[in-house]
Amino acid sequence: MIRLENISKTYRTDKVETLALKDINLHVNKGEFLSIMGPSGCGKSTLLNLIGLLDQPGAGTISVDGAAVKSYRDKDVAQLRNQTFGFIFQSFHLINDLQVIDNVELPLLYRSLPARERKQRAREALERVGLGARMEHYPNQLSGGQQQRVAIARAIVGRPQVLLADEPTGNLDSQMGGEVMDLLLRLNQEGTTVVMVTHDEREAKRGSHIVRVFDGQLVS
Amino acid sequence: MFKNYLITAYKVYTRRKLFTAINLACITLTLMVLLVVTALLQNAFYPTGVEGRSDRFLQVTTLVAESEGGNSVRTGPLGYKLIDQYLRPMKSVQLVAAISSPRTVSVYQDDRVSELMLRRADAAYWQILDFKVLEGSVPSAEDVAQGRFVAVLNASTAARLYPGASALGQQLNAGGQTFKVIGVVEDTLQLNSYSDIWVPVTTDPSSEYRNQMFGDFFALLLADSPAQLPLIQAEVAEVARNLQFDDPRQWNLALMWADSKLDFFARGLFRTERQADSGAGLLLAIIAALMILFMLLPALNLVNLNSGRILERSSEIGVRKAFGASSRTLVIQFVIENVLLCLFGGLLGLIAAIAALNWLEHSGLIPYLKVDINLAVFGCGLAITLFFGLLSGVIPAWKMSRLHPVQALKGAA
Repeated sequence: MIRLENISKTYRTDKVETLALKDINLHVNKGEFLSIMGPSGCGKSTLLNLIGLLDQPGAGTISVDGAAVKSYRDKDVAQLRNQTFGFIFQSFHLINDLQVIDNVELPLLYRSLPARERKQRAREALERVGLGARMEHYPNQLSGGQQQRVAIARAIVGRPQVLLADEPTGNLDSQMGGEVMDLLLRLNQEGTTVVMVTHDEREAKRGSHIVRVFDGQLVS
Repeated sequence: MFKNYLITAYKVYTRRKLFTAINLACITLTLMVLLVVTALLQNAFYPTGVEGRSDRFLQVTTLVAESEGGNSVRTGPLGYKLIDQYLRPMKSVQLVAAISSPRTVSVYQDDRVSELMLRRADAAYWQILDFKVLEGSVPSAEDVAQGRFVAVLNASTAARLYPGASALGQQLNAGGQTFKVIGVVEDTLQLNSYSDIWVPVTTDPSSEYRNQMFGDFFALLLADSPAQLPLIQAEVAEVARNLQFDDPRQWNLALMWADSKLDFFARGLFRTERQADSGAGLLLAIIAALMILFMLLPALNLVNLNSGRILERSSEIGVRKAFGASSRTLVIQFVIENVLLCLFGGLLGLIAAIAALNWLEHSGLIPYLKVDINLAVFGCGLAITLFFGLLSGVIPAWKMSRLHPVQALKGAA
């Protein structure tokens, strides 16, 4: 489904050059639940961002569905992100000025869909995560767990092939975190590929496959 | 999608009330001042109201006489003789009017003394200018020729001197002379038509004015069409060259120019009585530069504020990019937000300008002022505001387009 070959990533400032990832080779299979683990600062979020085309590698090739991403032209990658990926962030990144339903509808705005269908699909996504009664609330009127469920609804509303979750339970207590994990597992069982960054061993083990990152390299 | 943009724009503007207020005040004040100033300038220079034919007439206001060798120079208003003998016979003009500058006179009325402005004019004056006669009539050629002591008042003066009664037929004691009021005209505040009272030139207490080259008059020269004005200007310069003073030993060189209203102001400002070029081009350039400068400062402020506002929404931009927004889409979103703000500010500016002009007209701060909003200027001002609104949305959004979503999400902007 997604293949990373010899991927390296270096962050440069005027004075410092930091090697975030080095010679990464990774294959994400369709339908799997891949957990990426590692200590803070090891490069696991950078790896997830590269998989989701949120960032550009310094070297190496990323292929999506067998097609190498050659051009990182804004328009091309925007379309790929919209069609292929759904993102869940640790700090939710909901737009506080918009109601829950408008937040969830957001990925569909960048597709040619009629407004009525967009709203219908946003409603369905919210009902799937158990927030059908909160559609007209604003994000800051919800608990952390509810906000993360809104973020999951937003991630799945476009029916992406791959869900990318960057420490989705990192800002939640254990009960809410458990609910979010259950939701991700259910989505995976329904056929969505999930790639999740975590440093919680128990959560990682609930997935089908674990890779570990240490000092920017994959370790077995 | 547009609805989503509108909701976001509304929320952003209501969330950041101070920012929105500063931005709106910026746009509103700029447009308001621009509209008020241009309305006043239009009233002064543009053919409108009583002086609606100012695109067809010129004025000669000043004569410069120089002695041989340039030892002695006299500069002053024209004498009636100069207008009557040298300007009236000109071939390129349709009509020539002689009119005095407004002079303060004491008017005695029911034990009250009022200080009012009085002009002395010939019959042609009433033909060149389009006074709106509210009551009675203006002096006829016969009234002027016969030296009849008749007077015309403006509406405010008539109401002040004869409250509750018609001014027509009333006796008016002005400057020691008694006139019969034969007409009332609408108030006006324009270069050649401003006054409280008008009487025939022939009622001057002394007939000496008829023999003067220098005096208290200026001439209005009406052309058949605006295209004729350069011919008049050339002929006036020619008349000046051939002017014969009563004592040629005292003055042997004369200069005078037929000016448009803009030329008249420029000549007064730049003291260019001795040259044909009044400096009107320079005056226009200065006015344009001041207006551009006046608009540029708030416009740059608008760009700066909007840039800051957009850049601080980097997290939202990161999210939108992560879910498929292209830079182009984001540019459109922010441009729509800015355009909405500019349009709203523009509307407020128009309302504020109308209110300010209304207040100016009725406050008495500038007597007899009657001005209208120039919608073309409003359109231009709004277009410039929109341009900077667009620019202030496009610049930061373009900046964002160079960021990867992950950088925007981290607030790297």
